[in-house]
Amino acid sequence: MAHKVALIRGDGTGPELVAAVEKIFKAAKVEIDWVDVEAGLKCVEAGKPIVPDETIATIKEIGVGLKGPMTTPIGKGSVSPNVTLRKKLDLYACVRPVRSLPGVVTPFDNLDIVIFRENTEDLYAQIEYMATDQVAHSVKLISKFSTERISRAAFEYARANNRKKVVCVHKANIMKVGDGLFLRTFQEVAKEYPEIESWDNIVDNQCMQLVLRWKIYDMLVLPNLYGDIVSDLAAGMMGGLGVAPGANYGTNCAVFEAVHGSAPKYTGLDKVNPTALLLSGTLMLDHLGEHDARKNIEGALEATLTKGIKTYDLGGSAKLSEFTDAICSELK
Amino acid sequence: MMTLHGVDVYIWIDTTPELPKTFGKMTLTLISNRGTRVYPPPAPDIALLNWPRCRYESDTELTDAEIQELVNEITKLGFRWTKCQKLFREDGNNLYSQAY
Repeated sequence: MAHKVALIRGDGTGPELVAAVEKIFKAAKVEIDWVDVEAGLKCVEAGKPIVPDETIATIKEIGVGLKGPMTTPIGKGSVSPNVTLRKKLDLYACVRPVRSLPGVVTPFDNLDIVIFRENTEDLYAQIEYMATDQVAHSVKLISKFSTERISRAAFEYARANNRKKVVCVHKANIMKVGDGLFLRTFQEVAKEYPEIESWDNIVDNQCMQLVLRWKIYDMLVLPNLYGDIVSDLAAGMMGGLGVAPGANYGTNCAVFEAVHGSAPKYTGLDKVNPTALLLSGTLMLDHLGEHDARKNIEGALEATLTKGIKTYDLGGSAKLSEFTDAICSELK
Repeated sequence: MMTLHGVDVYIWIDTTPELPKTFGKMTLTLISNRGTRVYPPPAPDIALLNWPRCRYESDTELTDAEIQELVNEITKLGFRWTKCQKLFREDGNNLYSQAY
């Protein structure tokens, strides 16, 4: 029976990336019943919210979504469609696995880290004021509830995926109340998982450690802002945003997405790299229980990269369509 | 020149509070939880913290005394508020963020 998945095609190069993923899934004989839902610039141009309430309702009902990259309009009153989805669907865990890919040369060999970023609060609550004519005040909101659930999600993931070490990343030496609560709460949850080694690092030290001693790290848990920054740092270590997948999990819903932008200047040029969206899609397949399909598609991708078939961003000359066809030809 | 047009009152409560929809020149325009709008409806199905932000606004300029009266009224109604933040505008623009 086909899996139902809500599909946001996205803006800019989003639709062509989504089409590439659809083609590879079809070639891999994964049965997906794609349900198109609206979001993004087209909605704004039609005078609707950037993520209409019907889209939120449909994704919630189906429980799984795949999202192409979207553009956040610049200007007064504009909101991020990505943040809107996370907030309204309460997708509290942003999961960003980073690992070395064959054929994608970086200074960081044998990279294999999974990052759990709290997705709903911290400075991303976006509570801000001009307190006087000279002073802006932004509220950094950290709660015990949200820290418990992101920490527990990380430890449960570690347990299910045979990961051995989970590190809490914070700045509790300076923000003793907010980050202090995050750290204390993480430590309390960690006691429930004695078989998993855990410790904590201050975020600036963690950034240095990542580029010097990346092989000792297995999983990281971070508040929203540090998670945003560190996960892009880690994506760079993997080879760039063009290859780094992302997933957002809530209690009853999950949305999988490439974390890069919509690259509007490349729209229609058959040029962009579908790897990040494809790997986000294979995370989705795992979520749907299609583990063999995930292995098949990831194996085909790795075989393609190993042969040196790459898009421009990885130093290759393959067009999007050529890269997609090459992956399809490697499927078992 | 910044002018006063409202207040955000943060209340310690496990649910979304039932507050007066208007008070003096002010209207209850928003309640948010973790920055996400839960009032006016529809409220998304999200986990709530016990710290909703309740926003009263007026298009006409307010005085500190009017803000104080509102906060006193919220106290009289039995709500335990923990923080208030005045809302300023300048040249018609809000100098505070909106909720999602």
